Amino acid sequence: MNRERHLMGLYSDERQAAAAVRSLAQSPFKVLRVHSPIPSHRLAEALQVKKSRVGLFTLIGGVIGFFAGFTLAIFTALRWHLIVGGKPVMALVPFVIVGFEFTILFAVFGNIIGFLFQTDLPRFDLPEHYDARCSGDHFGVLATCEDGQQDQLSRLLTRQGGQVSALDPGGI
Amino acid sequence: MTSANSPFFDAFRRPAGWGFSSLLAVGVVSFLAAAGGRHPHLAWQAYLINFLLWSGIAQGGLLFSALMHVVKARWSGRMAGIAESMAAFFPISFVLFLFLFVGRDHVFPWLHYDLHGKEAWLNVPFLLARDGLGLLILYGVGFVFLYHSLNLRVGMLAPVGKLRTTLHRRWSRAEMDPDAIRSRMTLWAMLYCLSFALVLSLIGYDLVMALDPHWISTLFGAYCFVKPIYIGLGGLIVLASVLYIRYGADTGLTADHFHDVGKLFFGFALVWADFFYAQFVVIWYGNIPEETSYVIARTMTAPWRGLAWTVLLVSFVGPFLILLNKKIKTLPRAMTVLCTAVIAGIWLEHLLLIGPALNHGATRLPLGILDLLITLGFLGMMALAVRFFLNLFPEVVHMPTRDMSP
Repeated sequence: MNRERHLMGLYSDERQAAAAVRSLAQSPFKVLRVHSPIPSHRLAEALQVKKSRVGLFTLIGGVIGFFAGFTLAIFTALRWHLIVGGKPVMALVPFVIVGFEFTILFAVFGNIIGFLFQTDLPRFDLPEHYDARCSGDHFGVLATCEDGQQDQLSRLLTRQGGQVSALDPGGI
Repeated sequence: MTSANSPFFDAFRRPAGWGFSSLLAVGVVSFLAAAGGRHPHLAWQAYLINFLLWSGIAQGGLLFSALMHVVKARWSGRMAGIAESMAAFFPISFVLFLFLFVGRDHVFPWLHYDLHGKEAWLNVPFLLARDGLGLLILYGVGFVFLYHSLNLRVGMLAPVGKLRTTLHRRWSRAEMDPDAIRSRMTLWAMLYCLSFALVLSLIGYDLVMALDPHWISTLFGAYCFVKPIYIGLGGLIVLASVLYIRYGADTGLTADHFHDVGKLFFGFALVWADFFYAQFVVIWYGNIPEETSYVIARTMTAPWRGLAWTVLLVSFVGPFLILLNKKIKTLPRAMTVLCTAVIAGIWLEHLLLIGPALNHGATRLPLGILDLLITLGFLGMMALAVRFFLNLFPEVVHMPTRDMSP
């Protein structure tokens, strides 16, 4: 029976991690996950990840906020229906301020909600096959191979420097 | 004017046809013909608008470089050097300012008004003296900053031509180390930012707001120095795009540079609109006839009403919606079109501020082919100035800069 084996290459340098990801892409092995202690453009490039959709959430939030702000201001003004200082009850000029602030507020909400959705956060358990050093200062590249190919994968992962940790219960 | 053997140098030296010079000639001829014709005030109106617009682009361009230095920004890279080239318009701008007084009967309508005690401030000799002095200070400080900045960028390189040799001799005599130059630059950059705000406020009050001598908006000065930053960035993006399209990677510019400077441009679209709104909402709330009449004339009555909406759409709403997109900011061609549209919108905005004061009871917009021709003349002048600078210091665009750290 062929069992999947999980190996993680650990690197202290961003470039090494990115190079490892690139060399894995040309090998039969699969990159399952990459951990990074910092936001890294270099890794994103190496992984060829798709453009994040968080911006779309932000935009939608902003558009909703713009109209929500005006609606709130108009709704409350109409509830009172008082003429103040000779100004019309529904005075759009100052409502721009409410609309503007709500645009920003809701865009921020959209941004955070989008971020949580897109990253499956919050999560309270550690992911399977995890090395604690990834929470420190190490880049972790988690790759899988079939049973028996661990040596080959391990060589590939350490070619750029760095160490390998085996993350299956039985060890290598 | 020889020596350097890079083809890039030759590219800059190659006469770009008679394009810019003929634009200038067209502008001068149309201006002179119109100024001597039946409606000289239209020619002078276009002159004033263009003086403010193109000077603003040049002043805003150098401000970009000064700001980048003061805040120790590294992202701008070669952009700051390119922006400095627009300072070559400063001497021209000063001469244009002095020439404005030839048409004082047309550009200062208050000459014939009862000013109720404002004569002490609003009279031609005092106005000429204070604004002239202000511009001298602004341009002088700008040139001192530029002098040190160029020392850092190209001071060690072999000089070409007479002006470069003179500068090189001075730079070599002073023998300053890069850190000393940088601290000088910081001082003069800060002085430039300060005089930028003060002098351009003054120019805004004197040459734009005072055309309606009984109208007051306290924030108008700030509005008048935020605008040049906005169009200065626009001009910089156009210039950088043109250089990038022509010389490609040799310019050292990348899509990231355009993206970043595009974001700044986007930000200043908001700042500009905010400075308009901040004045507008106060006037709306106060609802005092002396204040509202100015706004009502420009936004609610024909023929200006349509122009006001056009300005808002072209210079704010349009760019705002378009620049939300990330991709477009990295495309030099698209940004050239957008920035040109914004600058054209700001041209119309100047007309909106100045026009009603100079054309009382106008039934249709005082806008025609003449304005376009005169504007082309100013464009030619700006292009010649920038080309002169880039011919003199091609390294700011081309050579690997020794050390870009601020």
